[in-house]
Amino acid sequence: MAYGEVVVLEDVDLTVTAGEVVALTGVNGVGKSTLLSCLAGFRRPADGTVSVLGGPPRDNAEFWRSVAIVADQPTWYPGLTVRELLELVLMTHQPVRGWCLPADDLVEIFGLSARANASPLSLSSGQRQRLSIAAALARPSRLLLLDEPEQSLDAGFRRELATLLREQYTANGGTVVMATHDHDFAVTAGSRIVPLAEGRIVAETEEADDRIPADDGIIGPVP
Amino acid sequence: MIAEPTTVAGDQGVSVATVRSFIGKHRRKSWVDWYVAGFALLIVAIYGSDFLASPLSRLSKSASHAAATHAAATQAVAGAGLVIGVGVGLLLLAQALGPLALSPADASWLLLTPLSRRAVLRRAALTVAVLAMAAGALLGVLALAMAGPYLRLSGSGLPGSWLFLSAVAGAGCCLAAVAAEALAQPRDRPRAVIRAVCLAVAVVSVAGGVAGERWSVVTRAVTAVFGGLSTPAFATAALAALIVAAAAWLLLWRQLASFPAGVLRADSARSGRALLAAQYFNFSLLFWIAEDNHWRGRLLRSRPWPTLPPVLVLAWADWRRLGRRPWPLVMLAVAAVVPALLGIAITGPRRPDLIAVALIAGAVAVGLQGTTATKRDQDDPALLRLLGVDAGRALVARAVLPALLSGCWLALSLTVLCAAGTLSGWLWPLLGLIAGPGVAAGVLRLARTARINPADGGPDTPMGSTPPWLVSRMLSFIVAVIGAVPLFGALLKGEAHATTVIDQGAASVIVLSFYLMIARAISR
Repeated sequence: MAYGEVVVLEDVDLTVTAGEVVALTGVNGVGKSTLLSCLAGFRRPADGTVSVLGGPPRDNAEFWRSVAIVADQPTWYPGLTVRELLELVLMTHQPVRGWCLPADDLVEIFGLSARANASPLSLSSGQRQRLSIAAALARPSRLLLLDEPEQSLDAGFRRELATLLREQYTANGGTVVMATHDHDFAVTAGSRIVPLAEGRIVAETEEADDRIPADDGIIGPVP
Repeated sequence: MIAEPTTVAGDQGVSVATVRSFIGKHRRKSWVDWYVAGFALLIVAIYGSDFLASPLSRLSKSASHAAATHAAATQAVAGAGLVIGVGVGLLLLAQALGPLALSPADASWLLLTPLSRRAVLRRAALTVAVLAMAAGALLGVLALAMAGPYLRLSGSGLPGSWLFLSAVAGAGCCLAAVAAEALAQPRDRPRAVIRAVCLAVAVVSVAGGVAGERWSVVTRAVTAVFGGLSTPAFATAALAALIVAAAAWLLLWRQLASFPAGVLRADSARSGRALLAAQYFNFSLLFWIAEDNHWRGRLLRSRPWPTLPPVLVLAWADWRRLGRRPWPLVMLAVAAVVPALLGIAITGPRRPDLIAVALIAGAVAVGLQGTTATKRDQDDPALLRLLGVDAGRALVARAVLPALLSGCWLALSLTVLCAAGTLSGWLWPLLGLIAGPGVAAGVLRLARTARINPADGGPDTPMGSTPPWLVSRMLSFIVAVIGAVPLFGALLKGEAHATTVIDQGAASVIVLSFYLMIARAISR
């Protein structure tokens, strides 16, 4: 995988099974976000194949019904409040089939109750990050791609989020692939940690024993 | 944390129109927003109509081929060059902004959803089409106006059908070109080819427009084409343009359904930032966005820091940056002919004020190319602290490059104006060169404008509260104009003397020194 002349990822061979939480770790610029971009279909590898949910990322309605991504800070609609934004996300994914969290619960879980009727523009950067992640859980998905979800979040909420991902999202059939710099967050989420160095995967470690066993491949080589 | 699993609802997906209606219902716009937007449009319309009145007035004159003079011929050729140059410039701008891009909020919340991609993109595509059609129709009419006295008219004057067909042909050409750009948007190579073709056409048309002043063979060839225009020719051009435009938009319409989200996300984010920067006149940020976009996929070759005093090392960084990527400077050097083209084609010597506006805008834009590090240090002075350099002394060292860039561009532009016959005398280029440091004071001020919170209130005016960023940017332009007052005074009078050169030298030294003194005092 390359950006023009710059080769970012090379010889990456990664298979993720359903129900797993996979944490991509490594120093800045090592290719974590680029790998997520490949999984989302934003970028195509110069060589090799990417298979997500049984085929190459298709960038169509069916694909985006199954895949949710939290990458850069989103831009907010000036007129919508926190609650209205979550309602909008649910509306854009109608008909809703599968597990997701209702807007009222999300507002409470993500500590946004006091600001539920405020514009996201008036939130702090940490609250905006909470809202970005909440929006990804406001609609059903089978695969959740998170790019440094811990950014701007306080330590307490990081733990709560990690627990939510492990105990609720994956328990309801979801799979998480995230890029993170927070080892504790990754461990609390029950992640399989995939360290990247110089654009390659180095020795993987299994940090959690309580992962949900899975039987079908979510991400992997095209059969 | 308790949460009930949700398994809702009907079988049908929601339409994009319903989603947009939901968003629109919650948009809270006050009457002040509408008032400010309307007022801004009114101001633009007043100045725009004033600017276009002169060339469009040629449409109402019942000139004949026999009445055409050399001045009219050069004006017609320069006008045609300018119209083509402006058209191509708009296409380049459209490509830089997308051309198909969503608002950043739509890209964040509507793009990566099961909603129909074509329905999500419909509004953006229609907006681009309407803008392209309006710009194309105006350019078509302007092109007809530029043909001036060379059109073979009957006694009853300009036929209305020519005017209509020119507008249709212009609109069709622009629509087709924008659709081609949108079709090429997801692919790097076609995008680069279109950019290269646009640049080549821009250079040839602009150079040809000015060349008409010196080489009569150019004017003869172009005016012969104008003279041969007839109703069937206009009709054929309009029909061909419409057919190509329709075919291109049909292809684009089919492609909208699978337009790649990755490209749209990147282009929407970039165009959103660029429009915001333009909205706040943050020209330094605009150049930074272009620079960032260029280097993102390229490897920079490292080079050791030079063995210079720390102050000069800091200044060297901007020289090095320009050396790495000289193409923007080359394009800006080509743009030095624009004031001359304006002089010949639109205004002539009777409206030197518009030439002066073009000169100051160009000089500031070129000067800003040498202030990237200055802007970076203003936002984050870490490097200054690391090297232990006094901010004031660093600014003095960094003033050299923008002064040189602005001065050289002014000298080049004034040389072209002299060559085109709009100005006379050999002192003008020297005057431009000497004005560089004066303009650089405004350029440095513009680059060093601190981050501004748009929410901050400013002085009250009849339009409402004036935002501080606007006041600050305007002050920077005023400083640049003050630094070149003798030059602009001479331009308005149409004559330059040796005393003007001395006055300009004094003005440049005084304005730049004064600005640097104040900046050093503030930085301590």
